Amino acid sequence: MPRAAAVELNQLSKSFRVRRARGTGVAARLRDLFSGDTQTVSAVDKLSFSIAPGERVAFIGPNGAGKSTTLKMLAGILRPDAGDVRVLGLVPSRQRRQLAFQIGTVFGQRSQLWYQLPPRDTFELLGRVYEIDAREHRRRIDALSSVFALGTLVNTPVRHLSLGERMRCEIVASLLHSPRMLFLDEPTIGLDVSAKAMIRELLWTESEREHVTLLLTSHDTGDMERVCTRAIVINHGRLLWDGPIAALRRSYLKAKRVTLWSDAEHLELTLPGVRVLSSGAYRTELEVALEITPLGPVVDAALRQTAIRDMAIEDAPLDEVIRAVYATAARGGVPS
Amino acid sequence: MSAATIGKYAAFARISATQASRERNELYGRMAFFAVILGVFSSLWRAVAEAGMPVAADPKSLVWYLAATEWILLSAPPIHIEIQAAIRRGDVVYRLGHPVSYALAEFATGFGLLAVRAPFLGLTAFLCAFAFTGWTPPLTALLMVVPFGFVASTLITALYLGIGLLAFWLQDVAPVFWVWQKLMFVLGGLMLPLELYPAFIQRAAAFTPFPWLLAAPASVVLGTHPVTPGALTRHLVIWSGVTAIAVSWVFRRAVSTVTINGG
Repeated sequence: MPRAAAVELNQLSKSFRVRRARGTGVAARLRDLFSGDTQTVSAVDKLSFSIAPGERVAFIGPNGAGKSTTLKMLAGILRPDAGDVRVLGLVPSRQRRQLAFQIGTVFGQRSQLWYQLPPRDTFELLGRVYEIDAREHRRRIDALSSVFALGTLVNTPVRHLSLGERMRCEIVASLLHSPRMLFLDEPTIGLDVSAKAMIRELLWTESEREHVTLLLTSHDTGDMERVCTRAIVINHGRLLWDGPIAALRRSYLKAKRVTLWSDAEHLELTLPGVRVLSSGAYRTELEVALEITPLGPVVDAALRQTAIRDMAIEDAPLDEVIRAVYATAARGGVPS
Repeated sequence: MSAATIGKYAAFARISATQASRERNELYGRMAFFAVILGVFSSLWRAVAEAGMPVAADPKSLVWYLAATEWILLSAPPIHIEIQAAIRRGDVVYRLGHPVSYALAEFATGFGLLAVRAPFLGLTAFLCAFAFTGWTPPLTALLMVVPFGFVASTLITALYLGIGLLAFWLQDVAPVFWVWQKLMFVLGGLMLPLELYPAFIQRAAAFTPFPWLLAAPASVVLGTHPVTPGALTRHLVIWSGVTAIAVSWVFRRAVSTVTINGG
């Protein structure tokens, strides 16, 4: 028997009414004071996808694509204008409180910790809010504090914590009630490299350990690659791509990056589909369009000129892959 | 409401009280402001009486009246400011996502603050009013002002909640608060008992909650035409009901049309 989806969206839509600005100048501004002229902006437009229990999905899109609006509809905070949405079998807008017991949310730019108090106080409050048995709650705080290496941080006022430390506490706060689904909105925003790496590792581990379904929005492709296995790309509230991250690369990566370290100081490669990205002494970086010229002839051509001491072949960064998805959609192409 | 549900909101009140007890500077500031206000007005009423100008009550009891009205007003935490800030920052998404009523949680948070402030400000009021007048009202009057004043302060907190929730539409509720504050000043009889105002203001005030929030509980210390506990209770219960209905209507409208700032 097939397992029920953790998240199921069908033709989900949401639009907002915003005031229409008339322009600049005193007269226009005076008219703005008395005018109720508004326009409707579509934030999410007939969006459909489903997520299986335990999946870790990156929800990708540029600013204003509709990611956060979708997340807030999934959490039951916003009501959809049209379409159906079910999370863990519940309708979020109608069953928000029941759903709240089963989901956790982390909003990277927001905080649920009480600023003047140590995180432990917020954890205790959340234990009451989520009606967790006191003994079980203490055990859970200790366990998560250990996994997230909080140590003495749980007893340090939040205002004294670094952003990375605070974010670890925010995630622990969101996991205290053992949610089956975790929505993360930019969880690593503003963090330094090591803090990001730690958060990603912890999210991945916790998801594996407790079989928590993750839906993560981020502009940081590192978050997506290290935490998620599947990507859903949207823009202007519409679905552009849905599939494994590896398939996203394969579909959009028509080029590889090749770096050659040679005995000769400079290499001259003028093959079709090969572009020199940078050229320094004994080091040449190329972008090779594989549909035009495979890698073999490129390497052969280099070897004909000089001995090759070392070579690196890389995919383009995921950033570029995602830009390619947006560009294809903007040209009216259908992402494959 | 189940015990678990009451426990949730009690937890909000408790954490808020804990935070208030750690943020003492704001409380000290209010206590200092309170002492200055009472000092200024006790000098003013004394000067008015010495100049032979008619004052409706004894200047000493007027100082105690002001101490009572200011205690009620200053004890009520202006939670609309924090609600407005949370709505503008978008932090409201967390509380809307919890399995609690956002409005009740905010009210409980405000009540926690009130529970910390009221005793300290009450003590300040008592000590300053006594220091400036060398006199205390009868104990029976004080015993009536304290519980009714605390209930009135709680009701003011609920009204602040209603003003704060308007930020879901207005974003900036300061203009609403200013209007409310001026009405409280005049129709509530903040500085002077309502008997000293023109008759038409007294008649207008009778249709609003303001006199029952400040003038009525505080006028007990004047000893002239004291309001009965029964009448005070009745009116506070009625206005609490009206406030609860109005705030819950505003909240229901807010969550059905909510838009959250920021992506």
